[in-house]
Formats: sequence, C-alpha cells, structure tokens
Amino acid sequence: MKHSVNRPPTPDAAEDQGKEPPLQEIINVKLIESGEKERLMELLRERLIDCGWKDEMKALCRAHVKKKGRNNVTVDDLVHLITPKGRASVPDSVKAELLQRIRTFLMSAAL
Amino acid sequence: MCARNSIYTTPKPCKHLADYKLRHGFNTYYSIRICLKTTPNGRTRVAKHTTKIPRCSFCDRYQGRLYFCLMCSSLWCPTHILLHTQSEKGHEVAIDMNRSELYCCLCCDQVYDPDFDKVVVCNQVKDLPGGSKSKTNGFEACGERSSKRKRLDSGIGLDLKKSKLLVSMRDRRAKSCYPLGLRGLNNLGSTCFMNSVLQALLHAPPLRNYFLNDRHNSIQCRKRSGEKLCLLCDIDAISSAMFSGDRTPYTPAHFLYSWWQHSSNLASYEEQDAHEFFISVLDGIHEMESKIRNSGKDDGDCQCIAHRAFSGLLRSDVTCISCGFTSTTYDPCVDISLNMDTSNLSSSNANKPIKPDEKTGASTLSGCLNLFTRAERLGSDQKLHCQNCQELRDSSKQLSIRRLPLVLCLHIKRVEHSLVRKISRKINQYMQFPFSLDMTPYLSSSIVRSKFGNRIFTFEYDNSNSSAAYEIFAVIAHSGMLESGHYVTYLRLKNQWYKCDDAWISEVDEGIVRASQCYMLFYVQKLLYNEAIEDSSFVHISPRRDPFDSTAGCS
Repeated sequence: MKHSVNRPPTPDAAEDQGKEPPLQEIINVKLIESGEKERLMELLRERLIDCGWKDEMKALCRAHVKKKGRNNVTVDDLVHLITPKGRASVPDSVKAELLQRIRTFLMSAAL
Repeated sequence: MCARNSIYTTPKPCKHLADYKLRHGFNTYYSIRICLKTTPNGRTRVAKHTTKIPRCSFCDRYQGRLYFCLMCSSLWCPTHILLHTQSEKGHEVAIDMNRSELYCCLCCDQVYDPDFDKVVVCNQVKDLPGGSKSKTNGFEACGERSSKRKRLDSGIGLDLKKSKLLVSMRDRRAKSCYPLGLRGLNNLGSTCFMNSVLQALLHAPPLRNYFLNDRHNSIQCRKRSGEKLCLLCDIDAISSAMFSGDRTPYTPAHFLYSWWQHSSNLASYEEQDAHEFFISVLDGIHEMESKIRNSGKDDGDCQCIAHRAFSGLLRSDVTCISCGFTSTTYDPCVDISLNMDTSNLSSSNANKPIKPDEKTGASTLSGCLNLFTRAERLGSDQKLHCQNCQELRDSSKQLSIRRLPLVLCLHIKRVEHSLVRKISRKINQYMQFPFSLDMTPYLSSSIVRSKFGNRIFTFEYDNSNSSAAYEIFAVIAHSGMLESGHYVTYLRLKNQWYKCDDAWISEVDEGIVRASQCYMLFYVQKLLYNEAIEDSSFVHISPRRDPFDSTAGCS
C-alpha cells in the first residue's frame, strides 16, 4: 500500500503536555507569589462590605434558610444559590478598581 | 465556663465528625496547626505549600474553594472531593483552605467543632503580633477572667419599692386619666430643646426613682453649699412638680437660670441643640455631685446619678494593616452618637441590576449601629505609629461596646457638613427604629469574636450576666431646619405613647412615633423597664372619669 506523503505525522502524546500554561494562570501565579493576590482579596472584601453587597448576600442566604429550614441547607446549596446572583451584582466601580490594580501590578512585574 | 448566650448555641457535630473524633481525637487538629497561617486582619488559612499553588488533585483547579483532607493532606475541589472520600475509607473530614472551617465530605456541608476552633483561635492569638507576650492584642483569651460584675440591683431595687409607696399616696390627687408624672412644660422662648430633654430625663427609670426617693434633698443641699445654685435641686423641683398630680403646664424658669449659670456659653434665647443640652446637664449633675462627695473619680467609676444611669464603656481597637498588631483603648461615654447609614442607599442602587426582596431604601437603627461598629480603614493621611513595626503605618479602627449603660441614649447625627461649600445641612432622611433593641451584636465580645471568624469559643468576657435587651421609653423628634426647628418628646408609659410638645400633652398612636423623625432615642434595660411597668401598674385609670381639665396641659 502506498503511504500518503501528504498525510501529516501522527502527533506524539508527549507533545501535548509541552503546551504553554494559559496566560490567566501565569498571571495568577505571579499574583500569588508576590503576595499581591492576598492584598487584592482584602481590598475586594472591604469594598464589597462598603457597598452593601455582603449584607445583600447574607439576606439572600437567610431567606433561603428560612424557607428550607435550618437543618435542610448545606454550604454547597448556599454557594450554588448565591454565586450567579453575587457575580452579577458586583458594582462596576469595584470591578474597575480591581482591574486597575491588576493592570498596575502587571506593568510593574513587566510581563 | 460561663453560661452561653442563646445566639451562640453550639451546633451538634454530624455522625461522621463524631466518629472521626472518636478515632483520632485532636491529633490531626494539632498537626494542622503548623500549616495554619494568620493574616494581619485575623483571617486564618491553611498554607502548607509555600512554593506551589494549591490545586485539586483531580482536575488541577486552583480557583474557588479547595479542601485539605485532614488524614492525607491531599487537596480537592468541591466537585471532586467525594471521589476521594469514596476511594479512601476514613477520609471524611477536610478543612476549607481559605476559611479554616471543617467540612464533612459525606454530608457535603460545613461542620463545627469547638475543639477545632479552640486550636485555630489559640493559633491566631499566638501569630498576631504581641499575642503571647502581652494580652493587649485586642483580644484576651485563654486566661484572664477579670469580669467586673455590674450591680444592677442594690441602689435601684430598693428605690423602686420605696417609690411604690410614694406613688400610691400621690395617686389620690391625680385628677386626669393620664399616668402620674405627665405634665407639660412651658416654652420660655425657643426652649423646646430643654423641655424635650427634661421630659426624657425625668422619665428615665433610674432618674425618676432617684428623685422620687428624695435622694437629693434640697434642704440638706442648701445647708452644705450655701446659696450656690444646684442643678440637681432644680431638677428635683421639676420632678416634684411633674409628679404632684397638678396638670397645668409647669414653668422651669429656675432651672433655666441655673443652667445658664453653668453653661454660660449656651445662655441665650437662641435655639440650641438638644443633644448639646443633654450633655451639659449630665455634666452639671456630675460636677455638683463630685463637689458634694469631694471625690475626683473619673467617669467610669463615678457614682453620681448621671453616670450611674448613662455611663457605658466603649472599646476602640486600632489594627496595623501591615502586621496585624492591635492596640486597644477603653473610653467611658454617656451616649453614642451615630452617623446615618445613607451612603449605601444612593451609590449601590445605581450599579446593581437586581433588587433584593426586602426594601433597602430606608435607613435603620441597626444599619447605623452596624456602621458604628464597622472596621474603618483610616486614610493614608492618618497613618499611626505601630508599636510592632516601629513606624507609621496604615491602620484600621473598630469601635465596640465593652459595657452597656442602664439607660442607653442614642444620638442620630443629622447634620451634614459640606467641605466644598462650607455649609451645614440637616439630613431629613427617615430612620426606622425598633421599640425593643438587642445590643448583643454591638458588644465587644461579639465584635472581637467575629473578627476571628465566628469561632465557637468562649472569650474572656462574654457577659451573659448583664442583659443586652433594651426597651425604648422616650424619643426626641426634630422637625424643621437646622437653625429653626422644633423638638418634641414621645414618652412610653405603660405601653401607651404620649406626645410632649412643650405645654401640650396628648395620647398618640405608636404609628405616629414610628413615623417621626427621631433625633435622640432613649432605651432602658429591659429588666428596669419591666419593673417600672409593674411599679406603676396600680396607677390605674380611675373608674369615674373626671371631666378633662381643659387647660393647655391636656388636649
């Protein structure tokens, strides 16, 4: 049988693992190593308390627990309940501030 | 161990946690201690791998919640931790890495163990600067039990029994159907600020009883101090007049004169601030009493009636953002001035696409109290010297109440200063307030506890002996503008509200009180309030209703 000379070579299984980690991961590693992530988390916590986001989430959880009964709710339930709502209701100003901080950090880390 | 406050009942461990503890005891808890890392603000997390980024052993995820198995130290994300528990027997309990909370993989829920929390808290105390050496790292645990028991009973209890007799004798002279002690005060020229505060003070159970029991005897007082003016004598005179049974409005001219002598800077016919007046009256009472007793005691231990009734203790924790060192100071106070929680309302609504079910439009007393006890980051222009870092650092400050007074006066700051336009404006925003108030969440024990993540741990001074439950008995409401407005007082006697508008007293519905624009709120400890109700319970409406005295006193 004739081999097709135009057929591309079978990719090696080993080659796949040589892929570059995604950019997001590289940034994350840099943030954690420098301790900046910790500081950003602190800032975020503060801002979310200030704008009342935390109280809102707390109220949502309370309402849910009241409805379902104290012994019928798990942490996982609550997390699944408030994650989409929480993500959607973060004020734009908070997002903007954090993005700015990350940008500044990246520029200084010279990525 | 002191008795537990009902709010903090220990949840029962699940079956799996109980089994786990039977098998392993505290071994794993102690070995975890090495991995626990405390951040300056008090959060504890598990940080075993200082170089690697923690990832789920199955899917390599590094974001979101990660669990650390207590048995084999492997890491799992919530989705895959069940796989681990199913494949390895006995690996049911894990710990949430970021929050240092126990998690039961089979129940898929967070579980609680006081022993675990004890380990975590002790570690936190050890880690934070100044923890093991000095006990003033904003948190005194595992040791000192210097609780000063407040004596609610002694003086006050006996007074009530005596005042019962006095009140029953005077009842016979009461002509109208209103309870004893209600009497209008004539306005002497923009003195509604004075009348409103006097009404509230004279009906505060400790002060009412003090004067009814003749604790300040005018004759003896004059003998001692000569002809000098005494604010207490004047208040005593007003009190006697209020409780005499006479319903015609009373003119507190002598008191006004005495007060002008005392606070000459405020002596004018201009409208004054009721809160300022309140403070100056308490000050005047204190000065007088300390002259009599010749004691120079500071406000915290002072036994004058003003301080016995109103004095509380505030705690201030200032924490260095960089290292976590906290310095704590205590300051006595006779009232609490609260800023209104209006900032939430305007800015947040604009950005949020969703609105929660409950109405968040109104400002509430609990909102203001939360604002008062919230950790506030001080600006970079207010850097403080940190003892641990030995230099100026950014810090955060948090206030809480170390000791509650018998009578709690809450002052709502309704003035807004605009630095730009250099003017002051009055905030007319409505504020909702409850008739029954539980101050537990604002106590130092609660605030310090929550700083460490709501651990099940008995802190040094959980005051379960003294009560944090309060009942409202007076509201001073303001209407109008900053310079020209009017004060009225609403008094709650035997669960009926009365409006005291200078010389005019009228019965009002509680709805009116709730809707009023409150400026000063007066709460008294529930025990005293209940005693006061019982006490006046036999001052009942006379079966034959006498015709109204149609004077300006009752309307």
